[in-house]
Amino acid sequence: MDWSLLAESAVNGGLVGLMYSLVAMGIVLIYKSSSVPNLAQGSMTMLSAYVVLAFANNAKVPLWLAILLAIVTMFGAGMAIERVALRRLAGRPIIMILMMTLGLEILLRAGSMTIWGGTARPMPLGISDDPLFLSPLLINRTYAVGAAVAVVMFGLLMLFFRTRLGVVLRAISDDYTAAWSIGISVERGVALSWAMSAVVATIAGILWASVQGVDQSLAQLLLKGVTVAVLGGMDSIGGALLAGVLLGLVEGVAGSFLDPLLGGASRDLVDAAMLILTIMLRPHGLYGRHDIERI
Amino acid sequence: MNASNTPTAANVLSLNNIEVVYDHVSLAIKGVSIDVPEGGMVALLGANGAGKSTTLKSISGLLVAERGEVRRGELQFMGRSISALSPQQRVKLGIVHVLEGRRVFEHLTPDENLVAASAVRSGHDMSRNKERVYSYFPRLHERRAVAAGYLSGGEQQMLAIGRALMTQPKLLMLDEPSLGLAPFLVAEIFQIISRINREEGLSVLLVEQNAVAALEIVSHGYLIESGRIVMHDTAEALKRNPDIQEFYLGGAKGKSFHDIKHYSRRKRWLT
Repeated sequence: MDWSLLAESAVNGGLVGLMYSLVAMGIVLIYKSSSVPNLAQGSMTMLSAYVVLAFANNAKVPLWLAILLAIVTMFGAGMAIERVALRRLAGRPIIMILMMTLGLEILLRAGSMTIWGGTARPMPLGISDDPLFLSPLLINRTYAVGAAVAVVMFGLLMLFFRTRLGVVLRAISDDYTAAWSIGISVERGVALSWAMSAVVATIAGILWASVQGVDQSLAQLLLKGVTVAVLGGMDSIGGALLAGVLLGLVEGVAGSFLDPLLGGASRDLVDAAMLILTIMLRPHGLYGRHDIERI
Repeated sequence: MNASNTPTAANVLSLNNIEVVYDHVSLAIKGVSIDVPEGGMVALLGANGAGKSTTLKSISGLLVAERGEVRRGELQFMGRSISALSPQQRVKLGIVHVLEGRRVFEHLTPDENLVAASAVRSGHDMSRNKERVYSYFPRLHERRAVAAGYLSGGEQQMLAIGRALMTQPKLLMLDEPSLGLAPFLVAEIFQIISRINREEGLSVLLVEQNAVAALEIVSHGYLIESGRIVMHDTAEALKRNPDIQEFYLGGAKGKSFHDIKHYSRRKRWLT
């Protein structure tokens, strides 16, 4: 048993897990405000990476500016998706809404294939490929940066939910009708949560693109995102952060044992097991909101 | 039995022949006319399902949330037609609706509930309004940091009213504030409502099944049955009215529920 290898897979796994959390946070933001499980979150992540490249390679602006412009563009795109596709479905059966987000996911994936083709392109973030040496452990630099960004995003969101606007969004997620009754524009609040989710997707998209390049496979991050979101409790940002670390850890450790035996698919097997077991054993996840019952 | 239905400058709210349908087909209220004088307190009384809540929702605009619409009639607030306005525009104008069943934001603290209710007001107004609400309801101040879902029923009702006051209303509409509360709490809450009415000139439209409590604090009352206004008079006259005494003030000694049903049916045919 090689302990340092195990520790290395655990640490790198945890860091990757935090990067999964970024995808999950986007799902949670939308679910919190409107109870819509957004199956298009993966392809929104993918789209944002293409948008960055479009600004950087086609419009020839510097990368930092391309990222900024992509964030603004995706903010608008998130709002537009809500306004055009989702708002008209308010009050309709959840299955219709779910199918709509699935339709969006296929549309974005196929659309990106049509416009940009299927060849993977690099996302030149300029993070060195050399590992970080942490005494006996080798840490992937991109994972470390991604994990740090995830923690920062988490902090920003926590701060945001304490502001007046954030409190209004939380009120919307508690009770639509009551929110309407005191003059809150529920529609605008939901649109804002889509926009914020798209911005989080952009951050996730850029980081993941620098790990695996820009192509349609980025959309498959949906599976990680959904697993982490469900494990975290669907409506808890903190839960998503913790669940991400947990999933990453288990995946990393189990992967280093199972990969030699089962081949490369073992991580996906671990994901599937986590998702299915969470739903069977703990449907509220780690930190899901229970309805308050007074005794 | 019907007082003047024409909107006058002295009425903060006037409903003229309002008809509401749900889902384009089912008629919930038919030809309801109600006036609330500026600075006045008016009760809308009636049994379960008579159309009281629907009437309030037609005024606050919350019918949209339930696929309902005002199909006919005129809704005037401070002399201007509000039928085409969204719920939030109405809140901005000064109409606020305290929903039946309190409906506080359970996962938010009372303080955050009040913050959320300031969406249409400035930050400066918010802190002033908060102080005002906490002075009316000191108990909310004590409990301001607990999740509102854990408050008692009475505290939640106070929070629901306080939250409505945060919007700086000119008309406060309350839907069954006494529901499920102990009598002493009902008395306390009704006292505070009439104090706010006296001190700030806030007009109140109170929907109640608890006619005894309601008629103590209002000046006028309307009685609604099966979606129609069947009686309108001063609170004093309503308290003396034998029909009201019999069926709404608990004076129906020896009468069975069947008789009350029969009474309702007879009324329906007569109107």
